[in-house]
Amino acid sequence: MTVDVSTIYLLDVETGESVEAELRDAIEQAQLDDWQTKWQPALLTVLQELARKGVPMSQWPQSWHWNWAQKTAKVQGLLAFRGFSVVARGETQGLAQVDLTKASREPSQAGKPLVYLDYLEVAPWNRPDFGPVPRLRGVGSALITAAVALSDEEGFKGRLGLHSLPQADAFYRKIGMTDLGPDPAYQNLRYFEMTVEQARTFLEGEQDR
Amino acid sequence: MTTKRTMTLNLTDAEMRVLDELSVRKDITKTAVLRQALRLYQTIDARVEKGEKLLFENEATKEKAELMLL
Repeated sequence: MTVDVSTIYLLDVETGESVEAELRDAIEQAQLDDWQTKWQPALLTVLQELARKGVPMSQWPQSWHWNWAQKTAKVQGLLAFRGFSVVARGETQGLAQVDLTKASREPSQAGKPLVYLDYLEVAPWNRPDFGPVPRLRGVGSALITAAVALSDEEGFKGRLGLHSLPQADAFYRKIGMTDLGPDPAYQNLRYFEMTVEQARTFLEGEQDR
Repeated sequence: MTTKRTMTLNLTDAEMRVLDELSVRKDITKTAVLRQALRLYQTIDARVEKGEKLLFENEATKEKAELMLL
């Protein structure tokens, strides 16, 4: 399989400098190795610190139990699922997996196909809620941009859907997605959707950045 | 962008009509309809191969019907 690689730019939060990165339209073994050998130890340190401080588990990062090796293996070879990764400074900075078989729910586009963002996670050291200063900013936005661009390429006109973990609700509202409320069929997580118009506005905004 | 190959597809009038209708109703091109159909078919087939069943449930009556894949 050929992997498409595009150059994107992230922000080094500490220095304010721009950092060149690769957006890859696949999750490969190198990314899974990084998840295992770099993300997991970093996450464990954060979780141990949270436990030491007595922070209740309900306030822990809600993706802490995600296993990217299993998620990737489960959809291996299936056309309906695609992965994306962001690589910078020689290591994986973010991962996302999308499903192309879902349909829209937002009334103006109900029943029309969309790209459903199954999972999106940035490396523990890039999370603003994990430490004093995240290392790189823009990883999550880059992965969402990739999902919207894929929706456009597939003829879905940028339509995007996702269930948000509560810690990310504000982010999805900020990028202009419609909040369709808690979904009782999906652990009561809020369901967000991006319409064709919202996708256009979002992509224009990303180009101007 | 991933490289794509071109093929000729021979469809009956009825099949073409359905393709046209789906393309309009789903707001996607005819090519996108066919690519979507392939994804869905492969996904369902893979799950059925693993021993799962494909069921449709009527939301009002809760009646379930199994769809057989041949």
